Amino acid sequence: MSLFRIHAPILDDIRSDGLMPTLIAKTDEVVTRLTAGLNVEEIRSVLRGDPPKRPNPRVKPHADGFWMHMRPTYFHEKVMTLYPTFRLGWLSVYFLVFETITGLVLMLWYTPSPLRAFEDMQNIMSNVPLGLMMRDLHRLGAEFMVMVVLLHMLRTFITGSYKKPRQFTWFTGGVLLLLTLFLSFSGYLLPWDQLSLWAVTIGASMAEATPVIGREVNLLVRGGPDFGANGLLRFYLLHVFALPLIAFIFLGVHYYKVIIHGHSLPPKEEEIGEDTARKVPMEKRSYFLPDVLTKEVYWIVIWTALLILMVTVGNWHAPLEPHADSQVTPLHTTAPWYFLWLQGMLKLGDKVFWGVIAPGILVNFVFVMPYLEVGPSRRYIHRRVGLSVCAISVIAFSILTYMGTPYHAVSSSPDQEIVAALVPQTHPGPVRTASFDELLPGEYSSDKWNSAPTENLREIMETFDYEINKYGSELPGAVGIMNIVDWQVGLKKVTLSVVWNNGEETFTQNVYVHEDSKHGH
Amino acid sequence: MTWRTVVGTLATFVTTVVIAFWLINEPARMKEAEEGFAGRSMEAGAAIYENNCTRCHGPAGGGLVGLAPAINNPALFDGTRLAEVGWAGSLHDFVYSTISGGRPLASSGTTWPQRMPTWSTEYGGPLRHDQVRDVTAFVLNWGRAYEEGITALQNPETATTSMEPIDAVGIDINTPELPPGNPDDGEALTVSLGCTACHIQTEVGPAWLAENHPDGTGIGTRAGERIVAADYTGAATTAEQYLRESIVRTNEYVVEGYEPGIMVATYGETLTAQNLSDIISYLITLK
Ligand code: HEM
Repeated sequence: MSLFRIHAPILDDIRSDGLMPTLIAKTDEVVTRLTAGLNVEEIRSVLRGDPPKRPNPRVKPHADGFWMHMRPTYFHEKVMTLYPTFRLGWLSVYFLVFETITGLVLMLWYTPSPLRAFEDMQNIMSNVPLGLMMRDLHRLGAEFMVMVVLLHMLRTFITGSYKKPRQFTWFTGGVLLLLTLFLSFSGYLLPWDQLSLWAVTIGASMAEATPVIGREVNLLVRGGPDFGANGLLRFYLLHVFALPLIAFIFLGVHYYKVIIHGHSLPPKEEEIGEDTARKVPMEKRSYFLPDVLTKEVYWIVIWTALLILMVTVGNWHAPLEPHADSQVTPLHTTAPWYFLWLQGMLKLGDKVFWGVIAPGILVNFVFVMPYLEVGPSRRYIHRRVGLSVCAISVIAFSILTYMGTPYHAVSSSPDQEIVAALVPQTHPGPVRTASFDELLPGEYSSDKWNSAPTENLREIMETFDYEINKYGSELPGAVGIMNIVDWQVGLKKVTLSVVWNNGEETFTQNVYVHEDSKHGH
Repeated sequence: MTWRTVVGTLATFVTTVVIAFWLINEPARMKEAEEGFAGRSMEAGAAIYENNCTRCHGPAGGGLVGLAPAINNPALFDGTRLAEVGWAGSLHDFVYSTISGGRPLASSGTTWPQRMPTWSTEYGGPLRHDQVRDVTAFVLNWGRAYEEGITALQNPETATTSMEPIDAVGIDINTPELPPGNPDDGEALTVSLGCTACHIQTEVGPAWLAENHPDGTGIGTRAGERIVAADYTGAATTAEQYLRESIVRTNEYVVEGYEPGIMVATYGETLTAQNLSDIISYLITLK
C-alpha cells in the first residue's frame, strides 16, 4: 500500500529475459537514439567497411539527426579525390572550428584592456599550463586559415565552380573571405604589443582615407583618434563575438548552397553547359557513412597532429614584442602579410585612390564576378582569358605584397638601418639573442671584428661590418663600435655607434641585455 | 581505408606522446618563461631609468648629492628603509608606488630639498603602468648585488657615489689651486654625475654644446664672453674661473632666463680638486 509506485519497465525485462540480454538490448536502444538511427550492429558493419544493406539503413541519421542532416547522404565519387576540391573548403571549416576552440581557451585568461592585455599575454605564456601551446596554435591556425581560404577561392575560380548555378555560393564565399581577413586582423591587435599596435594602426589608417567621412570612420574603428582602451575593446568584441557570429551564419548559407547544388564535378566530367552534380548514378555514389566520415576524421587527426607538432617539436612560436607604445614607431612597421598588397598599393601614390577606391573596386569585383563572367563552359581550354586574368592577378598581388614589405621604397637613414640590423625593434636580433656570457665587457670595432674574443662577439661584429659595407657609399669611412659594460648584476649595457666622416658624425643607440631574458625563445 | 587507419592511429599516438612530454616539461618551461619576461622587464626598465631618472638619482642609482638619494642603497633592500617609513607592504609595492605617485612631501627622516614628481600616467605623470613596473624591476635588481654581496661592478661608470668622506675642493674659486685636468676623465664625470641630463640631453640648464645653443657657441666659448658681459655679477676673471664658479657657487650668477636654485648647489662638497679640474678642462673644449 505504498503512496508512490515506481514503475521501472527495465526491471520487468530483467525478470523475464535475464540481466545481460536486457542490458545489451537497452544499450542498443540508447545507441540507436544517439545516432538517430544506427544500432550497434550497423555501426560495427560501418566500421568494418561492409557494403550497406538495401534499403540502406545508413541514410536514416541524415533524415532524423540534426548534425547529419547538414551533411549530404552521399557524394559523387569524382569529388572525393584530392582533385578537384583539394579539401580546401573543408579545411576552411576545420580552421574556423579549430580557432573557435583554441580561442575559447585563450579567452579565459585575457582581459581586453590596455592596462592588462599585455600582462595577460605574458601570463598565458608563462603561467598557464599549455597556455603557450594554445596561443601558438591559435596564431598558427589563423595564418593557415587565411591561406587556406584564399587557396579555396583560387581553386573554385580555376575549376569554374562559381558559374551558374553557383554564383551565390561564390558571393557568400566572398563574404566569408572578408570575414576571415577581419577576424585575423582584429585578433592582431589583442596582444597589445608593438607589433599589434603598429600593424593594426597601418591597416586602420586606410579607414582614414575614406572620402568625405574618413574622420568619422576612423573614430568608429579606433574608438578615438588613436588606438586606446576603446579601440581595443571594439576589436576584442569584433574578434570574439560579432565576426565569428556572422561567419558561422554565412558558413551556414554557404554550405547550404554547396549542398543544394552539389559539389561541382571536375569540368571534363560533364557536357558543356550541363550541371549534373545532383544526379549521381547509383554506382558513382560514395556514401557519407562510412567513406566521407572516415576520411574527415582522418584529416582532422592529420591536421591537428601537424599543427601541434609545428608548435612543439617544430618550435614555431607566435611573436610577442615589447608592450604597445603609441609614442614609439618601430623602424619598419608592416601590416599583416595578407594586407601587405594594400600597403604596396599605397606606395604607388594617392592615398584615397590606392588606399580606398582601387581596393574597393577590386573587392566589389570579386562579388559580382560570377554574374558578369557568364561563359557557359567550365573547361580549362575554353577559359583561356579568365584563367590568364587569374594568373596575372596572382602575380600582381605577389608583386604588390613584395612592394608592401620594407624592402621596397622605404627611406630611412643608413646609420639607423645598420644599428637596427643588430638590435631590431621588431624582433630580437643578434645582440639580444647572443649568449650573455659571451658579451664580454669591452669595446669592439667592426673593422677588427675578427679579433673579438668570443664566437658570438665575432658574429655580431661581422654582421656590423657587413651592414656598414652595405651602406659604404652613403657613409664614407664608417666604422661600427660596440661597447659593453656590466650595468647591474645580470644586466649589461650595450652601446652601438656608427661613426663616419672621420669621426665627425655618429649615431648611437643603447640597449640593455639581461641574462635571463631569453629573447627568441 | 586501412592505410588511413594506420596513419591516423600513428598520428594520434605521436601527438599524444608529444603532448605528454610537453606537459611533463611544462613547469620548467613556465618558470623559464617567467624569468625571461622578468629579464625583459629589467631591460626595458633600464632604458626608462636612463631617460627619466638618472638626472636626479645618478646613472647607477647612487643618488646625486643635494638632489636625490641613492636608490641602490642596501637600506632599501634590508628592510631598514621600509621600517623607517612604516611601510607594511612589500618592497616591490613600496618602490612601485613611490615611482607612480612620487613624493609630495619629504618622507620620514629625510630633508631633501626637492620633491620627486609623479611618474605614473594614473597620477598625471608620463609613464604607463607597465613602464612603472619595468623600472621598478630594474631598481629592485640592485637588491641582487646587495644579496650577493657584490659592492661594485668593474665598470667605473656604475660605481656608486662614495660614502667615504672625500677631500672636497670647497667653494672658493681661487684656492686651492687646481691640478692639471684631463678632458676625457672630465667628460666621463659629467655623464656619471648626471650633468649631461640637464645640459645636453635636455635644456633644464643652459646647453653646453654649440649645436644646441641659440647663439651657436659652446659653453667653453661663452664662459670667456660672460665674464666681460655687462650683467655679469660674479667674481671670475678667466673662463676657467667662471666655470669653476658656476659649478661650486651656482647662484653667484644665474644665466638670464633661468631661476636660481635649480642647479645642485653642493658640488663644492662632493668634488675633489682633480674632479673639478677634469670637468673644467673638458668644458673649455666645448667651443
Ligand atoms: C571561411 C571561409 C569559407 C569556408 C568555411 C568555405 C567552405 C566551403 C565548403 C566546405 C565547400 C565545399 C567543399 C569544397 O568545395 O572545397 C565550399 C565550396 C565552395 N566555396 Fe567556399 N568556403 C569559404 C570561402 C569561400 C570563398 C572566399 C569563396 C570564393 C569567393 C568560396 C566559394 C565557394 C564555391 C564557389 C564553392 C562551390 C565549389 C563546388 O561546388 O565545387 N568559398 N566552401
